[in-house]
Amino acid sequence: MTDAGAPASRSARPLRTLTALWMGMVCLLFLAFSLDGWFLRTYQSKLLFATMRPELFYAVLTLHGIGMVGLWMAASLAAGNYLLARYVRPPRWASWLALAGTVAGFVVLVEATTEGLFGAGWYFLYPLPMFSQGIWPTWATGGFFASLATLCAVWLIWALATLWAILRQYPLPRALAWPQLAGRSAPAVPPLVLISTVALLLGVAGFLDAFAVFTFYLLQWRVHGFVADALLMKNLTFFFTQMTAYATMYLGVGVVYELLPAFAARSWKTTRVVALAWNAALALALVSYLNHLYMDVVQPHALQVAGQVVSYLSAVPAATVSIFDGLLLVYGARMRWTIASSFLFLGLMGWAVGGVGAVIDSTIAANAVLHNTLWVPAHFHTYYLMGVVLMLLGFASHLGLELSGRAESRLVRRLVLPFFLVGGYGFVLTLFWAGAHSIPRRYAVYPDELARGAFYARFDVVLIGVLLLGIVLFLGETGRHYVTAAVRGLRHRGRS
Amino acid sequence: MLPQAAALSLFIVVAVLVAAVFAGVALSTRQPHDPGAAAATRLRRWFAGVLGTGLLAALVVTLLHLPYPRGRAHPDLVIYGVGMQYAWGLSTSPITTQDEWQNSTFANPIDVPAGSLVEFRVTSFDVNHGFGVFDPSHHLLGQVQAMPGYENRLQLRLTTPGTYWVFCLELCGMGHHLMRGEFEVVPPGAHP
Repeated sequence: MTDAGAPASRSARPLRTLTALWMGMVCLLFLAFSLDGWFLRTYQSKLLFATMRPELFYAVLTLHGIGMVGLWMAASLAAGNYLLARYVRPPRWASWLALAGTVAGFVVLVEATTEGLFGAGWYFLYPLPMFSQGIWPTWATGGFFASLATLCAVWLIWALATLWAILRQYPLPRALAWPQLAGRSAPAVPPLVLISTVALLLGVAGFLDAFAVFTFYLLQWRVHGFVADALLMKNLTFFFTQMTAYATMYLGVGVVYELLPAFAARSWKTTRVVALAWNAALALALVSYLNHLYMDVVQPHALQVAGQVVSYLSAVPAATVSIFDGLLLVYGARMRWTIASSFLFLGLMGWAVGGVGAVIDSTIAANAVLHNTLWVPAHFHTYYLMGVVLMLLGFASHLGLELSGRAESRLVRRLVLPFFLVGGYGFVLTLFWAGAHSIPRRYAVYPDELARGAFYARFDVVLIGVLLLGIVLFLGETGRHYVTAAVRGLRHRGRS
Repeated sequence: MLPQAAALSLFIVVAVLVAAVFAGVALSTRQPHDPGAAAATRLRRWFAGVLGTGLLAALVVTLLHLPYPRGRAHPDLVIYGVGMQYAWGLSTSPITTQDEWQNSTFANPIDVPAGSLVEFRVTSFDVNHGFGVFDPSHHLLGQVQAMPGYENRLQLRLTTPGTYWVFCLELCGMGHHLMRGEFEVVPPGAHP
C-alpha cells in the first residue's frame, strides 16, 4: 500500500449493515432530541407548557445537551469508521460494543433526567450535581454519572480501536502526514486518514480526561473530607467537552473530504498545506478550551491571553485550508447535486459561519458581555446543527442511496434544503440577536427585567417548527432507502 | 455603540459575506470550468494574508482592552458579592458566613455614586454561579464567575443613575432563573 489512492478500492461492505443501524438510530434520536429543543424554546416563550415545573425544563435541557453532543459524537465515529474501511480495517466488535453501550447509556440518561429530573446541564459543572436542593434524588445523580461513564468508556474503546487500525496500516508520522510536512509527496496518506487520526487523538484525550473528572466526583462522594478544587474541575470539564466537540467536528470534516470529491468529480489530496493545517489544528485544539474560562479571573492571565491567541490561530487552518479547499473543489465543478452533496457543502458553510460567531466570542473583551448569553448556544448550534450535523446527515443520505441503489426524490430534495436553511439559520440568527441583547442562556423563565427573552423564543418556536418539517421530510426520504434495503436484505436471506 | 451591537454587526457582515461566497461557488457549477491551480494558489495567499492581518489587528486591539482589574486602578467602592442557591448577597463589607449572606440578601440596595469605579469581589458558598451586572436598560455590562473557594474580581465604572441588577449567568440548579441582586447608582449629589 504505497499510494493513497490504491487502498480506496477496499470494500466497506462488512460495516454496511452495522453503519446503517447506527445511522438509522442517529436519525430517529435526532428527531427526538430536536423535539426536546423545540420544547425548551416553547417553554421559554410561554406559549405552551407554562404550567409545567421549571425542574422539567432543566432536566430536558440536560437531556437535550448530552443527547445531541453524544449522538453526533457517535455518529461521526460510525461514519468515520465506515469510510476509513476503504483504507484500513476498523474492528467491527468495537462498533458493536459502542452501539450496545450507547443504547444502554442513553436509556439510563433518559431515566435519570425525565424520571429523576437530574438537571445539572450537559457539562454538569462541579459541584452542582451534588447540590440538587432535593430536586433530583441520589439515584438520578448516580444514574447520570453511570450513563456518562458508560458512553465515554465505549467511545474511548471505539476511538482507540479505530486509531489502532489506522496505525497498523499507517505509522503515526505517516498518519499525521509528516513526510508531506517535510516536502515529500510519498508515502502518501489519504486526507481522511490524516483527519481521523487528528480527531481520534483529540477524542481519546477528552475521554481520558472525563475519567479524571469522574474520579474526583467519586473521591468526593466516598472519601470523607475530600473536596475537589473548583477551578481545576472547571479546567478538566471544559477540556473534556471541548475535545469531544472538536473530535466530532473534525470527523465530520473528514467525511466531507472523503465524499465531496466524488460528487465534484475532482480529487482532494493531502498536500503540504493540508498536512500543515491539520497538524496545527491538533496542537491548537489541545489548548483552545482555555477560552471557556475567561470569566474566571483567578485563572492566570497568561492562560487567558493564550486562550484568545490560540482561538484566533485555530481559525486560520480551518478557513484557509479546509473551507477554502472545499470551495475550490466545488467551484466550477461538474457537480452532481443531491441531498448528500448539498448537505456536505452546506455543512462547510455552517462550520464557517459558526466559526465567525465563535471567534467573536473567544475575544476576551467581547466574552465579558456575551459569555453565557444566548450568543453561546447561537454559535455552537451554528457549527453543530448547520455544520457537522449537516455533514453527517449528508453521509446518512449517501449511505441510504448506496444501500437501496435507487434515486432520491427530486421533489423532496428541493423542499428539504429551504426548510433546513430557513428554519436552521433563522433559529440560530435569533439566538445571536437575543444574545447580543443580553438574554441569558438556560433560563426556564425570564425575570420581568429580561421578559423580552420570551419574545425571541417565540420566533424560534416557529423557526424550529420549520426546521422540524425539513427533518421529517429528510427522514422520510432517507428512511425510504434504508427500509428498501432492509426489505431486500430480508428477502434475500429468506431465499437463501 | 454597545460592544454587543458591534459584535452582532460584525458577525452579520462576515456571515453574509461567507454565505455570498458559498452561493457564488454553488452557482458556478452551472457553467463547469477549471479555475486553474496557479490562480487558486494566488487566491489562497491573498485570503490568508487578509485573514491573518485582520485577526492580528483584532488581537492587538482587543488584548489592549482586557476587562480584568488592573493593579493601578484603585476602586472608589468595593462590593462583595456572594452567590448561594438561589440569591445574591451584596454588601460593602466582606460576607464570610451564611448568616451574613442571609442578612445581605434582605438588606436595602447599596447606593453607588454615579461615575464610581466599583470593584466587585465575588465568590460562592455552594456551586458555581455567574455574576452578571445589568444596567438600568437591562444590558449586560460585565460578569465574572462566582466559584466556591475562589474570589473573582470585576471592575466597572458605573455612570448612569438607576437600578442595576445582578442575574446569575451559570446554571446553578432549579432556581437559577430566580437568582437576583440589585443596587442603585445615584447622582453624585444625592449620595449621603
